[in-house]
Parts: sequence; C-alpha cells; structure tokens
Amino acid sequence: MDTVSKEKSIPKYINPYFGGVLLGLLLLVTFYITGRGLGASGAVKSAVVSTVEKIAPVHAEESTYYSKFISTDHSPMFNWLVFESIGVFIGGLLSGVLFGRVKKLRVEHSPKITSKTRIIAAGLGGILFGFGSQLGRGCSSGAALSGTAAFSFGGLLVMVVLFGSGYVFAYFFRKLWI
Amino acid sequence: MNRNYILLMIVIVVLAGGLLFLPQKANYIQQDPEKLMWDIAQPTRYITTDEVAKMIIEKDPLYQLVDVRADYDYDMFSLPGAYNIPLDSLLTEQSDIILDVEDINTILYSDDDLKADQAWVITRRMGYKNIYVMKGGLNCWIRTIIQPKEPKETAPITEFELYKFRQGASIYFTGTEISLDAGEKKTLNVTRRKKETVAEGGC
Amino acid sequence: MGPLIPLGQIASGWDFVIALLIGIAFGFILEASGFSSSRNITGVFYGYNFVVLRVFLTAVVVAMIGLLYFNYMGWIDLNLIYVVPTYINSMVIGSVLMGLGFILGGFCPGTSYTGIAIGKIDAMVFTGGLFLGIFLFSELFPALESFYYGDSLGSATIEDVFGISNEKFSFIFVIIAIIVFYVTWLIEKRVRKTVNPYKFE
Repeated sequence: MDTVSKEKSIPKYINPYFGGVLLGLLLLVTFYITGRGLGASGAVKSAVVSTVEKIAPVHAEESTYYSKFISTDHSPMFNWLVFESIGVFIGGLLSGVLFGRVKKLRVEHSPKITSKTRIIAAGLGGILFGFGSQLGRGCSSGAALSGTAAFSFGGLLVMVVLFGSGYVFAYFFRKLWI
Repeated sequence: MNRNYILLMIVIVVLAGGLLFLPQKANYIQQDPEKLMWDIAQPTRYITTDEVAKMIIEKDPLYQLVDVRADYDYDMFSLPGAYNIPLDSLLTEQSDIILDVEDINTILYSDDDLKADQAWVITRRMGYKNIYVMKGGLNCWIRTIIQPKEPKETAPITEFELYKFRQGASIYFTGTEISLDAGEKKTLNVTRRKKETVAEGGC
Repeated sequence: MGPLIPLGQIASGWDFVIALLIGIAFGFILEASGFSSSRNITGVFYGYNFVVLRVFLTAVVVAMIGLLYFNYMGWIDLNLIYVVPTYINSMVIGSVLMGLGFILGGFCPGTSYTGIAIGKIDAMVFTGGLFLGIFLFSELFPALESFYYGDSLGSATIEDVFGISNEKFSFIFVIIAIIVFYVTWLIEKRVRKTVNPYKFE
C-alpha cells in the first residue's frame, strides 16, 4: 500500500479553541443527561468480551475479568459506550464528508518512515494503549477528559501522567513523526 | 495575538473567578416537598426489628444506629453500638458528622415510631440519604426480639423460623436463655445480604 | 434537575438513541478539530502543532466551569456525577503505557474511530491493536488482579486529595490553561520556522 497525498493546501480544520468550547459544552450536556462523561475504549472492551464469550463461553464465564461484564439478559455489545462509539464513527464520517477529507484508504506517515513501519508502530501503540486503558480505568477521553472535568483525582492523574510520559517517550520516537 | 482570543480569555477568567465570589450555598440540598411526600409514603423507609437484630449480630459495617430519644433515656437503655442524637440536637454539627457518611445506612429509632419518624422527615429535608426508621421502635424491639412469643402450632413454617431466630437473638442481647426447650440447639439463621455490585467505570 | 438518566427522568429506551447522538457530536467535533490525523495529534509532543492541547484543555475548562454553575443553579447534582475511582499504582503504570502507546500509535481510542471514518489504515490497525491489548489484559487479569485493585483511594475527588474547593481548583486550572496556551503558541511559532511544514492527509 502506498500513501497518496495530493492535497497540498492545509485542510479546513475548525479553530481549536472553538472545537474545545464545543467539546466542553458537549461534555457538559453528557454529564447533564447521563451523569457520566464521554468514553471510547469501553466499546472495544465490549467487543473483546462478546468475542471471547462467543468463541469460548466457558472460558469467559470462568474468567474473573470477563465475567464482570457478562450479563445474562443482554449481549455485552448492548452497551451505552458501544452505541456512543458507533456515533463517533458516524460523526467523524459526517465531518469528513463535509470538509472533504474522506478519501480512499491510505496510511499517513512521516516521509522518513515507510508505510510498513507506520503500520507496525500503530499496531504496537494500539496494544499498549488498550492494555494501559484497562489499568488506567479509561483512556484519554474517559478518564483524563471526563474524569478531570468531574473533579476526579484519578482523572487528573491519568491526564498528567499520560501526557507527561508522552513527552518523555517523544524524544525516542521522533523519527516516526518529524 | 488575536483580539478575539484575549476577549475569550477574559470571559473565561471572569466566569471562573465569579465562582469564587458566589455566595456560599447552604451545605444541604433542600428536598422538593413533592418528593418528600412521596418518600414519606414509601414503606421501604422502615426496617423491621428482626433486620436490625440481624445486622447488630452480624456487625454489618454498612449500617449505623441512631437513638433519637433524650440522653437520659439513652443512658438507661439503648441498642448496642447506637449513637445518641436527641431530636432537638439534630441540626447541630455533631449530628452532621454522624449522619453525613457516604454509603452508610442510618437507622433511626425511638421508643415508638413517632420521634424517629419526625427525625426522619427532618434529616430527609436536610438532604441526607439512606436514612431508615426502625419500625415500632424499642417497644417493638422488646416485644419481638427480647421476649418473642411462640407462634401457634398452625402457623406457617416461616414463622417458626423467625421465632427461632428471635430466640437466638434474645440470648445474644440479654445473655440469658428464656424458656428454652432443653437439648435443642439454637443456631442463628443469619444470611449475608448480597453486596450490590457497583457499576464499572466508563471508557 | 440532572443528571437525567441516573435520576430516572428519561425512559430507558432512549438511552441508546442519546448515546448515538452524543457519539455523533463527539465524533464530529474530534474530526473537525483535526484529530483524525495522527501527525496532527502528535504535533503536541514535538511542538509543531498544539491542537490537541488546545481542544483538550479548553474542553476541560468549559465543562468544569459549566458543571459548577449548573450545580450552583441546582440544575445538576454534582454528587451524582460519576467520579473515576483512583488506584494509584495501576493508574500510573496504565497511563505510562498509554503515553507510550500514544506516541507510537499516534491516536487514542476516540480519535482512531474518526480516523477509520475518513479511511486511515493506520487508524484501523491501531483499533485492532486496542482490541488485542484489551484481550491480552483480560487474559492476564488473574496475575494482575492484586495490582489492579491495589492502592485504592476509592472515588477520590481533587477536593479530597488536595483539600482545595472545586471552585478554587477550576480557577487555578483556568489560569494554568491560559499560561499553557500562551507558551505553546510561542513555542509553535518558533518550531514551525525550523520544522518543514508537514502535509495533512
């Protein structure tokens, strides 16, 4: 797969502060309606649980972790965060179509690395992020963003350590990006 | 720098600063009268003497007892481990320390339901949650737990089980055996309440 | 009086419709702000694009102040808002792993969904990685359990730990955010002179 990039002009992104205010208001509305903030990694967790439950039901039931999320009356996919994440996908698609960013499949990477390197790094990053999000009780949106906004100490902790460690590791992986 | 940004900055600082100067709200949320009325009508705010006895015997950490009678009554007789908050001192800071504990259910009791019920309404009005009343008060306690009556022979089996439990509890609380059939071993039928599962966090 | 769903003011059938709508808004904002591009996101770590920091901090500030005003007006009961529980060791290690995953992968879960939406293969691989990572964690859970639950502070709030009121904390947070916005704006200006302008895709 080769990368294709013909668009030279800077794409029309909205002003970040405007985006931030919108996101903050959305978060506020979400708190008002649901009493909890936004989340994202929970949907993948539901997918994992339901996959394992389907393939190895006995194993899932015996496991102390899966069994926490298995309920008898509905599938683990029938979950608030799963619907929210489907919404995130649709919303991203809408915005992408509106601003003309939906194009054919492609890999975005720094000119210094190949697509293959980028793919491997993305996969590794995903694994680490997935693993870490379980230990951290949520990802950057669930724990750091929503947690901090709701004055949770844990949320603040995740935010500070996540970005802090990002800066520490950034030096070693600079070739991936710049 | 863009003028709009400076404007935005001033707005957000003023908004955040305004929070600091807002007059302090009362430290409790007033109950909506309609909701309070609905709550009063709920029988679930009552806890039977049997449940209270069970909970004292099990030393259930999720419950605390509060005696709302006057202090000399409290000194004369009270349930083990109960706090004393006389009705007229409910609004003091001391009672707030006892009542305002998250995740702990408070059971109020007096000689009968009357004072405990009054205290219940006041505490609800103050916004405390998880407040219950021991049904029948101490009078009922004496009648059912300390001096339980044997059910009629035709009574259903559950009543006999209850009686057995009460006899056991009576021994526990008084330290003496009251009208026991010799040789019959008494065991306390105590079953642990299922702990409620807490919803797992987002993300 | 909110929050509406915990107080049972919305029929449960609407839950998922609301979830979908909130998700759509969330995804739209993320994509429109430029979070569907990993090079855009990681700019925050190299100083050439601080969009993540700007969106993130502004959102926290707005939501925080909004919550406090809502609470003050009695529109929402702050005590009913879910507070992420704190488990210090587990969360610190988890966040370090997430930080490493962030710099390697260039996405976080929410943004990777929008990346998929506009056709990024790396975002798909990242999401696949998330799946694997969570699977791995679940399989290793028995060995990790004591660590996972260790060092718990319960649903500790910032007020519990630092002893400053929510109002004071949000004011301090706003001041820090503004300083950060200003400093990063300066940094970005300098870095963009030296780093070759990168192409968005």
